[in-house]
Amino acid sequence: MAGVILEKVTKLYGPKIAVQDVSLACKEGEFLSIVGPTGAGKSTILKILAGIESVTSGNVYFDGRRVNDLPPQQRNVSMAFETYNLYPHMRVYDNVAFPLRAPRWNLKLTPEEERRRVAEIARFLGIDELLERLPQHLSGGQKQRVSLARALVRRPAVYLLDEPIAHLDARLKFSTQTLLKEFASKYRSTIIYVTHDYREALGLSDRIAVLRRGSIEQEGTPEEIYNTPATDFVGSLIGEPPMNLIDGEVVTRNGQAFFSAGDNFTIQVRDDLVASMRQAARHAEGRMLTRLGIRCEHVALSRAKLSDNSFQLPVYAIAHEADSSVVTFDLGGCFLYVRSRGETESRDYRLSEKAWLDFDQSHVFFYQATVDVAKV
Amino acid sequence: MMKRALFWAATLIVLAIVIGPLLWIYLTAFKASGDIFTTELKKLIVFAPTLDNFQRLMTDYPYWFNLGNTAIVSVVSTIFVMLVSLPAAYSFARWNTGGGHLLFVTISTRMFPGVVAALPFFIIFRTLGLLDTHVGLILLYIYFNTSFATFLLYGFFRDVPAELEQAAMIDGYGRMEIFRKVVFPLILPGLAVTTVFCLIWSWNEFFYAFLFTRLTARTVNVLISSFWGSIEVQYGPMAAGAGIAILPTLVAAWLMQRYIIRGLTFGAVKG
Repeated sequence: MAGVILEKVTKLYGPKIAVQDVSLACKEGEFLSIVGPTGAGKSTILKILAGIESVTSGNVYFDGRRVNDLPPQQRNVSMAFETYNLYPHMRVYDNVAFPLRAPRWNLKLTPEEERRRVAEIARFLGIDELLERLPQHLSGGQKQRVSLARALVRRPAVYLLDEPIAHLDARLKFSTQTLLKEFASKYRSTIIYVTHDYREALGLSDRIAVLRRGSIEQEGTPEEIYNTPATDFVGSLIGEPPMNLIDGEVVTRNGQAFFSAGDNFTIQVRDDLVASMRQAARHAEGRMLTRLGIRCEHVALSRAKLSDNSFQLPVYAIAHEADSSVVTFDLGGCFLYVRSRGETESRDYRLSEKAWLDFDQSHVFFYQATVDVAKV
Repeated sequence: MMKRALFWAATLIVLAIVIGPLLWIYLTAFKASGDIFTTELKKLIVFAPTLDNFQRLMTDYPYWFNLGNTAIVSVVSTIFVMLVSLPAAYSFARWNTGGGHLLFVTISTRMFPGVVAALPFFIIFRTLGLLDTHVGLILLYIYFNTSFATFLLYGFFRDVPAELEQAAMIDGYGRMEIFRKVVFPLILPGLAVTTVFCLIWSWNEFFYAFLFTRLTARTVNVLISSFWGSIEVQYGPMAAGAGIAILPTLVAAWLMQRYIIRGLTFGAVKG
């Protein structure tokens, strides 16, 4: 096991910037996830760590040792590829055993030991029935698990997993996630995990780095990332439905600060939030514009007026889930999602009915607008 | 019904075109001279078979010696061609060696008619004393086949994804081991196809063999052509000689047909 440090790493493909000035540390035995949309540079970072891609500038350290110039064979990592990359001419068994047989690791396993190791990981991931088959006779999900088994069969310094469960069906995804968690704690492995699915990242990681267009947008524990998104991008990427982002205007009346959006939505902003609101605001045409962010579970919903600061909006749509409902309101420029837990009321809201809403201002954030929040 | 009939008619025509000449060669090879030159139609197929032509071929001409020359030249040139082409094609495919220009130059040696190079080669070979030698003919065949084999193998190597090799590097293998354990098994069908093509091409080559050999290194094709004399055409020995000479290529093509079809469509049906 080893700790990994990326120091101001930049990677260019010609004029195109894939990764820009990324500094990231993964402690020994830590499970670090890199989350971001397609094309954010997640896989490029993994390839840089694996030694498949070189850095344009910056440094990569394994256990304090600079490894920029080390080829993949000498880095002692293992990797599961999103595209599987199984060796087509080898049976599943040989695919999984392939890393164990590399002379470089000097494992010198006897055939029995090798069989035991392969069987162990195959049973762990539920592919022990497939060992005699060729990759071309496997489904996508099976190939993905074989690829994962090949990455987990050895004990390298660092595991690099690139979307290792993205192509599994929902049920298998969940159980494999549990297995990965078990694996990580059992072997105290250093794992760097790339995904575009925030649920996997929240469920598995000790720490998460959110990547956007090659740069790190926020880094922190899953709780930090979810509860206190640093930017509107993080808020909109993590969570389903995404964080509510409302573009509006800062208005000051009688020394009190208000946030208003559209014609019938104005709230008084709590004093301790005013500073951050002004900081995030920008001036345009003599007005102060800003963006308010709040997660759907921090908006209270009721038929009765909740407080002096609550406001009324007509119900636009309701989506029922097993243990809650998401009620959607039309705010003119964007939708406002409200999650309502189990209680009686939310189930029987009618469309267009006016409901009272109230923001829990200890979970309100103000951001500079960096993502497009047009209705989708 | 009509469609079926048309299908079979077309099949028969194609078969007749392909098999007709072969059939003629093997029928003629076993005919006495009288049966060859008769105008009687039924004698085309019904005749008393004889081994006279083969006997004359073996006793009056250095047939086995010339066939041996063909074999030596084909096999040795093909071995050298593969030794050069395999690493060259891998390097072109994986590292784009020479930025595409080198590959183009390699292939361009096949873009002019063979006769263009014949005169300069002849003069050079005469100066070097390589005329009518095995080495000379082998060098010529290496020259012509290397470009062809490199180009063909280049395509097969391109079909092996670079990510597969990267996976093997991460798994801890060195370049040579990766080539041996991952790349080589995957291009094996392509390698077989290329080898067979080179062998067959050298085996069948006539023009350069005719120009550059006289006695010592004369190939079987040149011998067969000599039956077409100025006074008479000796169809019997010619057919017998050709009948034996084409056997190896027929067998090779038949044995490799599974690979050849797979090799030629390798890129098209990757899955």
